Parts: sequence; structure tokens; C-alpha cells
Amino acid sequence: MTNRIQHKLFVTFLVVPSFLILFAVVFYPFVYNVVISFSNMNLRHIKDWTIIGPQQYIKVFTEPTQPDFYTIFAKTIVWTVVNVFFHVVIGVFLALVLNQKDVKAKPLFRTLLILPWAIPQYIVALTWRGMFNYEYGALNLIITKYMHLPAVEWLKSPTEAFIGCILTNVWLGFPFMMVIALGALQSIPHELYEAADIDGASWWHKLWRITIPLIRPVMIPAITLGTVWTFNNLNIVWLVSNGGEPSDQTHILVSFVYKAAFNLYRYGYAAALSMVIFIILLGFSLFFMKRTRATEAAY
Amino acid sequence: MLTPPLSIVRRSVSCFLLGALAVGALVASGCRRPVNPNHIVIWHQMRVDERVILEAQLKRFMDQNPGITAEAIYKETEELRSGFIVAAIAGQGPDLVYGPSDQVGPFEVMGIIAPLESLFDPKYLDNVIPKGLTYFKGHLYQIADKVGNHLTLVYNKALVQTPPETDVELIEIGKRLTVDKDGDGKPDQYGLCWNYTEPFFFIPFLTGFGGWVMTDDGVPTLDSEGMIRALEFIRDLRDRYKIIPSEADYNIADALFKDGKSAMIINGDWSWAGYKKAGIDIGVAPLPKIVSTGLWCAPMVSPKGFSLNANVPEEKRPIVLTLLRFLMEPEQQLETARALSTMPTRKEALNSAFVRNDEILRNSALQIERGKPMPVVPELRAIWDAMRPGYQAVLGGSKTPRQAAKEMQALALRKIQEMNE
Amino acid sequence: MKRLIRLTATYLTLVVFCVVAVYPILQVVTISLRPEDKLLSTSLEIIPDNATFNNYVRLFTDQPFLLWLWNSLLVSGVVTITGVVLAAMAGYAFSRFEFIGKKFGLLSLLTTQMFPATMLLLPLYIMLIKVGLINTYLGVIVIYTATALPFTIWTMKGYYDTIPTSLEEAARIDGCNQFQAFYKIILPLAAPALVITALFSFMTAWAEYIVAAQILQDSHLWTLPLGLKSFEANMSTEWGLYGASSIIVTIPVVVLFLSLSKYLVSGLTLGSVKG
Repeated sequence: MTNRIQHKLFVTFLVVPSFLILFAVVFYPFVYNVVISFSNMNLRHIKDWTIIGPQQYIKVFTEPTQPDFYTIFAKTIVWTVVNVFFHVVIGVFLALVLNQKDVKAKPLFRTLLILPWAIPQYIVALTWRGMFNYEYGALNLIITKYMHLPAVEWLKSPTEAFIGCILTNVWLGFPFMMVIALGALQSIPHELYEAADIDGASWWHKLWRITIPLIRPVMIPAITLGTVWTFNNLNIVWLVSNGGEPSDQTHILVSFVYKAAFNLYRYGYAAALSMVIFIILLGFSLFFMKRTRATEAAY
Repeated sequence: MLTPPLSIVRRSVSCFLLGALAVGALVASGCRRPVNPNHIVIWHQMRVDERVILEAQLKRFMDQNPGITAEAIYKETEELRSGFIVAAIAGQGPDLVYGPSDQVGPFEVMGIIAPLESLFDPKYLDNVIPKGLTYFKGHLYQIADKVGNHLTLVYNKALVQTPPETDVELIEIGKRLTVDKDGDGKPDQYGLCWNYTEPFFFIPFLTGFGGWVMTDDGVPTLDSEGMIRALEFIRDLRDRYKIIPSEADYNIADALFKDGKSAMIINGDWSWAGYKKAGIDIGVAPLPKIVSTGLWCAPMVSPKGFSLNANVPEEKRPIVLTLLRFLMEPEQQLETARALSTMPTRKEALNSAFVRNDEILRNSALQIERGKPMPVVPELRAIWDAMRPGYQAVLGGSKTPRQAAKEMQALALRKIQEMNE
Repeated sequence: MKRLIRLTATYLTLVVFCVVAVYPILQVVTISLRPEDKLLSTSLEIIPDNATFNNYVRLFTDQPFLLWLWNSLLVSGVVTITGVVLAAMAGYAFSRFEFIGKKFGLLSLLTTQMFPATMLLLPLYIMLIKVGLINTYLGVIVIYTATALPFTIWTMKGYYDTIPTSLEEAARIDGCNQFQAFYKIILPLAAPALVITALFSFMTAWAEYIVAAQILQDSHLWTLPLGLKSFEANMSTEWGLYGASSIIVTIPVVVLFLSLSKYLVSGLTLGSVKG
């Protein structure tokens, strides 16, 4: 066997098993969904659906739903950006704090801080919902008793309900970014910091010139995927707002899809909306990847 | 540049294959059972204390019928619905599916449940009260062992000795029992609380003021005087008479009542056992009458029963029916009634001494009589989704009842049209 | 003095964040200690008056909790090992080599995550029935591994990217072949990324509900999320049992994190490249 063929074999051996599994699991459902999105699959046509063309897509963009597609889309973007921003900032911040050499009891702190990620989401999301209750919730009790401010009607007004969902999701999501950042920080050789210290660099300088660039290769995938996951995170919005309350105002695109598909059996419509979500996210990722040149190596 | 010698590549590949084999062997331990024609599967949404009784009954069935095995699998109501749809469309699924009657509409339209009337002797069906038999488009699709799922007025006997019979009395008792004990301006005890933001829990007042959700053909009737007055009533309970908390979903209302911080709650038959377990001495009473209309508040009443999966082959149906008949026997129904205060459907069971003498069951029966059957048509789901936004807007103060009623009706019509396209 | 200020600020910050992180968890503990099934309470006390461990006892005596625990450990363990092996290998290829379809491969990994999972359920179910993997662990394991791979491959690649290729060159000069250079030199240096990969793969399998609910039909195959869900009902959830099981379910994750976090150590690259 020539060197080149052996080399190709090695690379194949490294890559193919993963991709085999991936495509087996993802390919068929994806194609199925594309087909359904052009069909009329719903309550009346569940086994005998037929292809009807792009009607479902037209509906997605023009149906006079309350709220309409563009409002929900804008809300989803706000949801995603705010969440990811806080996840990353808090996560990296805590990782930096924990990474200092002379901090004691690191395992204790790390364990406590990872708990929001480790605990089952359902019960903790509902617990948060309980904390938002106007009269009895912990949040308002703290606000009125200790901060002497008027109580907030968290769950009854659309804006506050949305903020409530964001708060819950930030709480749930920062440990993940913290763990990634902790891992990423380990790849930075101490020599670089020592050299910077000798040159008299400030901590700000060290942060921006050494730390941030060097954790980028590991953080970028996390941020990209974190954005995609947050965009599609149905659970938290659904549970904290009890399915979109008040009045179906607290929705992001996915929870809206869910309601359409599973409450009213409009599978064709939901498939089209899912495809639209997919295209949006694909566009974002391609753009983001190009800007950060993430498919290349760091050194 | 050096490249891996063949031996290394071979070793790595064989490692991987060995690993895959190990995984396969490990996983074979979790392999599925072969399809067994004598094994019956029921999917249900029974809560934990109901399940315990079902398991005991299944065990007795298996003892009495050696050679047949039966298994019950729990799924939460919404998942039961979507899970059954997915499985049945793919040609699989359980033999029997158990749940409330509103499942029947969508399942029938999708063609995944089978008609039952040809499988039963008419005399047998005569022995089941009409409320326990769910007909749709002329065929029997569900046969129920319990009827109920109805909201009632549940009161804490330590705080309320005689429950109110009219809305006027309700407000009076409510005002008396909404107390601010520590003088901080906020009530520490409410006269009444319940999950009032959810349409299902609003229905009794809608009916009390003369409204209803739809005609028999599934056309919504949400824009009515009854709706407007009912919306105003709920709003008044909160803002004018101030006897209910400003925000209460199911879990909050439940907590308040269990903490003894609410004298009364409106909740369904599934919740009574939980309150007893929490140590509250509860009484169950029918919901009050609205004086200005003379109508009783009528909650929705639904049977909970068994439907047959259309995928069950003909040869298997006889043994599935044997199990069904067993679970429908008065003995089984009374066992559940005694433990959980559920209402049986066999006439023999209803005439038994126990059912006629039990205080809770008597009140429950009265409420069921005054209740209205929950519609079975698929359009009901669209109506729930249409009611919620308008209803919550009225409570939030952003719409008047008149506006909300109009919008609910328009939204319902649109959603039904979308669902049926 | 500067050090004192820095350390005080550090500990203060950590304590504040820990309190915020832990408070809702404590509420779940409270739920698990209450004898009556209450999600919420009007009192703010952490330990209720009539606290009892009964719910925990019932988990193990009344419910097949141990069975679910064992099933979950089995499935999650296999997914973790498979995931780590596959991601470590694929990530290395993407980091070190150029080959046809590399960019496409990397980007396609991301696209698999962009689809709302609930939409994939029906076709997934149909597909699994056709290949006979419904109601088997193999079906679940395959899907979980596929779910975790995109993130883990990308993370491994990103971490490998921070390790200079000069290390492999040095190893090859010393007589290693490609695989040995990968296995003996680079892989240990990527330990922090392996930790992340293992933890993430484990969590993907451990906490996943939707796919498991669709595939695992026999109750003796149930994993923990399915078991927990059985305590849930639309309006009559057994909060006591649910709370207790939520707390117990968190423990293996914490144990795994604790045992793996000692590999979240830096300084291994230091000293391996001289000059």
C-alpha cells in the first residue's frame, strides 16, 4: 500500500464512522420534512396527503396570526441574542475568576455553579415560573421587602413574561459556557502570561490580547451552536409562560410551530415553518463561520 | 513522511469492530420482545393512584386467564394523543388506548380507531349508562369505565360549614373569608381560588350565564351575551369583590388550598384524593346557580374510556375484548370508586349501596347530572386555542368583554378553517 | 494589598453566583421533602415543617427507580464512550488534514442542529420501525450519539487547533507513526476538550426525553427521564416523587463532573516544545 493510500485510509477511518451515523439519523427525517412542507398533511389528510406546492410557505409569511410571523421572528432574535450574550459573558467571567491559581475550594464552587445545568429542566423551569408569581413568588417578595420597589406583574404582561423566560434561560445556560470556557482556558500556555507580565501588561491588555484570541477556537463552536440551540429552545419559553401566555404573546418561532403542529394537527404548515427556521439558522451560521474563519486552524 | 503501517490500521479497524460488537451485545439485552398475539398493551394517562389500581386489576385478569398477558403503559395526556397518532399511523401502537372522550374526534378523522358497536351485545351496552358510551358520526368509538373529569366546588370544612348554592352566596362567603390577618394590606386568606385563567376552568361560568362553546355541528358560538357576562363576572370576582388572588394558575391555586390559605377551590375529581392526602377535610359540592339567569353553573363532563386501535388484527380482537369486558365489570369499577371517588358507568355499580351512600359521590353525581357533555369533535381544540388569548386579554385589562367575545369567535372560525383545509 | 482586594472580590462574586445558582435547586429539595404533593408554597421556608424523606423511600420501594437508573447509566455510558472515541478521531482529522468535503462536512455538522427536534419525530419513528430498531437501546444510542456529535466534533477540532503541529512533527522525528503521534502525544494534551465531550455526551443521553419516549415502548426499558415523566400528569403531578427523583438524577452528573474536572488542568503544553 502506498503512503498516500494509507494516509487516505487513516483520514477516512477517523471521519467516516461519525458521518455514517449522522447521515443515517438525520438524512431521512430531513428529506421527509422537506416533502411534507410542500404537502397538505393535516387532520383531514393524515394518511392521504398530497403535494400541493408552496402554499404552506405562503401561509407562514402571510397568515394573519396573532402575533404575526415577523413579530415572532423579531422576538426570537432578541431572545437569542440576549441569552447567548449573557451566557457567554457570565460563563467566561466565572471561568476566569475560577481559573485564578490562588482560589481555594474550587471543586465546591464549580459543583455548585454547574447545578443549573445538571438538574432536570422541567421541574426547575416550573419552579422559576412559581418564583414569578405576583403575590407569592420569591422574586417579588425580594423586590418588595428588600428593595422596596413595587412588585412586577411578571406573568401577566407580555414584556415582563418574556423577560422572565430570558432570566430563567440565562440561569440555565451559563454553566455550560462556563465549563467550555474553563476547558478553553487550559489550552493557553502560562508562558504567554508570564511574558506579558514581564512586559508590564495590564490585566485588560492580557484579556484582550492573549485570553480572548486563544479561547476563540473552542468558544466559537460553542457560541454558534449555543445560538442555534437557544433559537430553537422550546422548553423554557413553553414552561415558564405556560404555552405562550399571556394571550399567545410569549412565543418564539419554535413554540409557535409546536402549537400549530401539535394542537391543531397542521403538520404541513409546521413543516414549512420548520424549514424557514432552518434556512434562517443556516444563513446565520454560514455568515458567522465566514466572519470568524472558524473552519481553519488557529496557529 | 511516515505513514501508519498496515498492521496499525488493521489493529485500529478491528478494535472498532470489536467495540461495535460489544455495544451490540450489550444492547441485545435491551432488545424488544417478539410480537406476541397473546400480549395486550394498553396506553393510558391515568395518574399514579389510578395506575396502582389498574395494575392490581390486570394482575387479577392474568391470574384468571392464564396464557394471556396484559401490560399498561402510562403517557401524559398530550403525549398520549400525539404518541398514539404517530404510532398508529405507522401501523403500530397499543391494542387499547385509554383517555378522555375528546380524543375520539381526532382519532376517528385520522382513521386510527375502530368502531365498537358490532363487538358488543346490545343488552350489554344497555347496562352502561349513556354518558359512558361515546358515539361519533353514528358509531361507538369509546366505552368508558368512569365518567366525570368534571369541575366541582371543593371547600375546606374547617373554614366553610355550608357551601354556597348561588353566586350571591358565593360572593358573600368569599368576602367574609378573604381576610388580611397581619394588616399589611394583602389578604392572607382568600375566599376562593382556582385556575381561572384556563378556559376549561371558565366553562362553568360561561354556562351559568347561558353561553356555550359550540353548536352540535361544531360551529363556535363564542360571541354571545352569556360569554360577555361571564367574562365580566370573573373580572368582578377579582377586581370588584376581591375574593380571588390576582394571579393564580393551577399550581398556585392548588398550593393555596393545600396551605389552608383559601377557603374554597374549584377543581376536578382528579384532585380530591390529593387534598385528602394533604390533610384538608374537604367537602365536595356542586357549583352554584347564577341567580340572575336561574341556571346552574355546568362544567364539562367527560367519560374516560377505552378505544380500540384500528391496527389490531381481527384474530386478536376477541382476547382484547375479554380484557375490556373484565375492566368494565362492576367489581372493578367499584374498587376504583371506593379508593378514588370516581363515578362508575355500569348501572349495577351505580345502584350499589356504596355509591348511593357516599357523601362525595352523591355530590359528584349531582354535579355530573347538572354538567354538559364535553364535545367530542376535533373542533373543540381550535376553540380552546381561540378562547385563551381573548380571555386572558380581558383579565389583563387590554380588552373589554364585548371586544374579546367578538375576537374569540373570529379566531375560532379561522382556526377551524385552517385545521380542516 | 492588591491581592487581598482581588481575592475578596473573587470570593464575594463566587458566593453571590453560587447563591443564585443554588436557590431554585433548594426549592426542588423543599418539594421533595414535602409529604403533600405541592410544587409551590406560600411560605418561603426551605425545610418545611412536616419534612419527611418518605418520597425518597417511595422512589426505591414503590417505583422501579433503580431499574430506570441502571438503564440510564447503561445508555448514557455507551453514548459517552462512543461519542468521545468518534469525536476525538473526527475532530483530529478536521483539524490536521485537508481533504475533499472538509468544509462541507464541518458545516453540515451544524445544519443537523438547526431543525426543531419535534418535527423529526414522525419520520424518525417510521424509519426506526423499518430497520427494526424501535424499542431497542441500539436505536436510542445511535440517535443520541448522532445528536451529540456535531458539537463534540467541533469542540475537539477547536481544541486541537490550539495545539501546535510542531508537536506531532517532533514526535514523528522521534519515530512515531501518525496514529501513535495522535494517540500518545496529542490526545493527552486535549484532555480538557475530552472532558467537555464526555460531559456533553453524557448529558445528551442522560436528560433526553422526547426521543426516548417515542422509541422505548416497554416500561422495563425506560430510562430516567421516562420514569420521571410517569410522575407527571397534566394536573395531578406527584410533585413529591418528582422532586425527589430530580435531586437524585442530578447526583451522577455532579459525580461525573467532579471526577472529570481534575483533567481540566492546564500547563501540559508547557515544556513540551522547547525553543
